Amino acid sequence: MAALEETPRAAAEMLDPHQIVARPPGADLRRALVLVTAAAALVAAVVASLTLGAVHVPLRDVVDALTGQAEDGPLKQIVLQLRLPRTIDAILVGAALGTAGAVLQGALGNPLASPDVIGVTGGAGFGAVLILLVFPGAIALLPIGALVCGSLAAALVFAISWWGPDAGSIGKLLLAGIAVGSFFFAATTSIMVIYSDRVQSAVFWIAGGLSSEGWQSTRAVWPYFVVGFIAAIALMRPLDRLALGDDVAASLGARPRLVRLTACATAAVLAAAAASLAGLLGFLGLVTPHLVRLAGGDSSHTFVIPASALCGAAILLAGDTLARVVAAPVELPVGPFMVALGVPLFLWLLRKTTV
Amino acid sequence: MSAPLLEVSGARVTIGEATILKDASLTVDAGRLVAVVGPNGAGKSTLARAAAGLQPLTSGSVRWSGEDIGSLRGRRLARRRAFIPQRARVPGGLRVADAVAIGRSPHVGAFHRPTSADREAVARAIVRAGVGDLAQRQLTTLSGGELQRVQIAVALAQDAPALIADEPTSHLDLGAAASVARLLRGLADDGLAVVLVVHDLALAAAIADEVVVISHGRSVAGGPAAEVLERERLADVWRIDAQLETSPGRTALHVAWLGEPTTQMENR
Repeated sequence: MAALEETPRAAAEMLDPHQIVARPPGADLRRALVLVTAAAALVAAVVASLTLGAVHVPLRDVVDALTGQAEDGPLKQIVLQLRLPRTIDAILVGAALGTAGAVLQGALGNPLASPDVIGVTGGAGFGAVLILLVFPGAIALLPIGALVCGSLAAALVFAISWWGPDAGSIGKLLLAGIAVGSFFFAATTSIMVIYSDRVQSAVFWIAGGLSSEGWQSTRAVWPYFVVGFIAAIALMRPLDRLALGDDVAASLGARPRLVRLTACATAAVLAAAAASLAGLLGFLGLVTPHLVRLAGGDSSHTFVIPASALCGAAILLAGDTLARVVAAPVELPVGPFMVALGVPLFLWLLRKTTV
Repeated sequence: MSAPLLEVSGARVTIGEATILKDASLTVDAGRLVAVVGPNGAGKSTLARAAAGLQPLTSGSVRWSGEDIGSLRGRRLARRRAFIPQRARVPGGLRVADAVAIGRSPHVGAFHRPTSADREAVARAIVRAGVGDLAQRQLTTLSGGELQRVQIAVALAQDAPALIADEPTSHLDLGAAASVARLLRGLADDGLAVVLVVHDLALAAAIADEVVVISHGRSVAGGPAAEVLERERLADVWRIDAQLETSPGRTALHVAWLGEPTTQMENR
């Protein structure tokens, strides 16, 4: 009978605590490899983005332009006024979408979560189409319109899901998000039908893509990115506490619904800011965190959030550069282009794993 | 005399229109295992959640070492008690050791890294719950019984003097349930206060120092199992003809499974 009895205290004396808790050496290496690869890809993409395009700018001229040593001329202007802002936009937008997806998937405990499900995409699309089609004279307000309507849609989703019994539950948030999103999509479609003669100008934006319009839009929305990224960093530990469910999180002294609301608001700000610069690129927010988890073999948010930001930036910048270069001087819209490249890769990874 | 570790008195909980808990009381001291039993829907889990601070009270009080639970929030409450849900989420990509490390979070500052003392506490919890050999496994690869022991390890990493477990054995096979029961009894013997919500009356009688019976939202009896789970009470509360038999280290519940509930009431 003695063999049936557990003797944990005796076992405690035999086992080395550090050996029990330590991560296997390969695990840390794998995570580091993902981060280093993503960082290297980002650097390569930055170089490609600044040098390649309809006009090839040699790397030396790019460095001179960036360090203020270049003489005034078209090359300097191309680098500083066209390509640098576009590169910065792609990094901000890619990082924001990767982060928003990682934060949302963690907060909602749902692998399908992306900025679409909390209404942000629908709202931002409506805001942009409203400016583009109804008030084309106020085109400068496009980023702000997308940002405001995207945030408004998310706020509406939170208000509805926080109302009545079972306030703030995942099911309520998702259902409210889908309903509000549908409402805004319907409103967007209605505007497009009414102003069908002007739809052409909105197509590129809805497909998702960056533009070479200088610093103006970036200047208008950069604070939202900063706020979103800082909030996402602060959310890494609280989101880890949600991993084992709301009851365990509450047992640990967390307030799961408050964490979830904060996380959704953070994702909403980031996704709306991203949409204001680059239109609707929802796929990136959905896929990047999955890629990171699959490649890194780790789903803790202290890894997934920074790695998703890095990978999202690298993927979008590389995709945007390719889309500019492949059929130059014609620019392909980066949204569909990335989906065409990303979906086969994602499906290939998906077949070997469980979500 | 100092205040008991946990004292719930006159707890009332209303959710929406329904009053789930009407008047429930519970007292637990260090080193004691108290089993909360009762039929489905009687309010056992709501009482456990209210005691743990996961469910606000409509009226009544919950006191931890004499302090009202309303004044204990966040980390302070997390250091008083750990709550073990019936079934926790089982996310992919998380090792057992990582999950148990999450249980240590009330002791790790928001912008600090876990110290070697924290890592030792996590390792201690893993070993004490008997899941040392599972530490490197992914949560998604564990059986129900193994997962439940990991849940207990997560709670132990919290280093709180009390554990509140909500039906930890309900979906386990006999062997796994007995293994969890032995673990919880051992933890009470180590000096922890344990509140165990449980359906299995024979199991409750075997391991609990005291049994509290909840019926229709009220605590209707409390005391040693042999005194509380008498035939008349089983008939009153569970509407079944059954008798508890206890001998040292063993318990059995003899149930007239096919008897008519009304006949049982008349014949008893």
